[in-house]
Amino acid sequence: MMPDRKEIRDRIVSVTCRILKVDPSQVMDSSEFARDLGAESLQSVELVAAFEEEFRIEMDEEEALSVSSVGGAVDYIAKVIQAQR
Amino acid sequence: MKLVIFEDSTFANFYPLSLIRPVFELRCGATSLAEKLRRRFPGLPTAYFTRDDLAASVRSRAGNESINDLAALDDDLLLLNGRWLCLDTPLQAQGPEEVGLEGGHVVYGRVQKATVRRLAPADFSSFLRQVSETLPRRAVEVTLLSYPWNLVHHNPEAIRADFKALGKAGLHGKVHPLSCVYGEESMVYVASSAVVHPMVVLDSTGGPILIEEGVKVFPHTRIEGPAFIGRDTQIVGGKIREGCSIGPVCRVGGEVEESIIHGYSNKYHDGFLGHAYVGEWVNLGALTTNSDLKNDYSTVEVKLNGQSIDTGGTKVGSFIGDHTKTSIGTLFNTGTVVGMMTNILGGSGILPKVIPSFCLFANNRALKGFGLRSLLQTAETAMGRRKVRMTEDDRAVLAHAYEITRPERDEAIRKSRREILQG
Repeated sequence: MMPDRKEIRDRIVSVTCRILKVDPSQVMDSSEFARDLGAESLQSVELVAAFEEEFRIEMDEEEALSVSSVGGAVDYIAKVIQAQR
Repeated sequence: MKLVIFEDSTFANFYPLSLIRPVFELRCGATSLAEKLRRRFPGLPTAYFTRDDLAASVRSRAGNESINDLAALDDDLLLLNGRWLCLDTPLQAQGPEEVGLEGGHVVYGRVQKATVRRLAPADFSSFLRQVSETLPRRAVEVTLLSYPWNLVHHNPEAIRADFKALGKAGLHGKVHPLSCVYGEESMVYVASSAVVHPMVVLDSTGGPILIEEGVKVFPHTRIEGPAFIGRDTQIVGGKIREGCSIGPVCRVGGEVEESIIHGYSNKYHDGFLGHAYVGEWVNLGALTTNSDLKNDYSTVEVKLNGQSIDTGGTKVGSFIGDHTKTSIGTLFNTGTVVGMMTNILGGSGILPKVIPSFCLFANNRALKGFGLRSLLQTAETAMGRRKVRMTEDDRAVLAHAYEITRPERDEAIRKSRREILQG
């Protein structure tokens, strides 16, 4: 079953907090992984890997890494899940 | 009469080094395997047969020679297996039709034009099979290389043989009086445009030393023969111990022992490289080191294409594919196979013995990284720094290698993803 947007967002926040070691209260839709949450380039790559595992999807590296914000990630991952269902 | 140098079906045993080049272009000694075969049978036009996906790229390096062209088989032929390390052989190009076999593999075949016409080859592999099945067979004992570590182990004798065959000796370049040839000067060749700085020791007591055009050997370098330093290479201080072949346009320092650096690669800083084969456009960061001997002195196993193979040798280092880069402090285990175009962030202890191609390897995990396009851009930049242009054929070969190596990479990436998520 396709997860709804809220579930996707909750799981993205959970993974983000685990990988970047940040508190969920810091994570907004508008938060940018690098600028606001402190993701370095290697952590960004790890985040992509963790999202792929969390949602059992395959993302294009360049497309995934071009997504800068949490809200953008929700939109992008929802689209990928839909495409790979 | 025509020479036909061919790549047989064992090419994958030489991965990752043979991912983007035929086995016969691999280096052993001062020259490639194909160059040695051509030198043994001089003056004959040569045709090459390799994998179709490499043909265009090989053609761009082979000048006027024909590549994968069945129409070139229009003469009496001497077929030569491209993984034959031909340092010396009584074999003559002219003679009766026959096939020389070692362990069931064709080493050479003398085939007359009439037979070629009769067999009317549809493709080269079936032609080779027909030849080996129909012509008289002779069992031969030659060095038919099977794995990358064979190239490394035979490198010292290949340098000695190449030195003798090339017939070059003498100090023709600028050799500073405060440098020293320790041993026979007749066993050293310094090309006319090479420069040897003060406080350099060229130790020829163990074998010849060939220093080609444009080479610079900087102070506090000790080179032990047998050694080959290729065109426009810089040795920037350190110990180049016996049995090293360092190809063209490299920058090498630190400690290197019985290793082959194919060309256009850097190991500028301290760190040990032993019994290794390094492809082109590799950059080994400061203090990158490989083990080449196990603590219990047992024989080294290497994992190739999913299979563990006992090399039978106790000294086996790393096999590092083209365009791979290592960070400072990278530590490779004994007998490690490092894929091509991989970006390795070491520093977290000794790395696993297999590292996939085209990935970002960090924190002991294989990651997708930034994608093929980003890797190609980096490679293009690295090549541009040495005034070499990446051609469309190069891109096609790299893209094909990316696909060939996908299954191994994907498996490693999936395993890493699980580990990352589990923390």
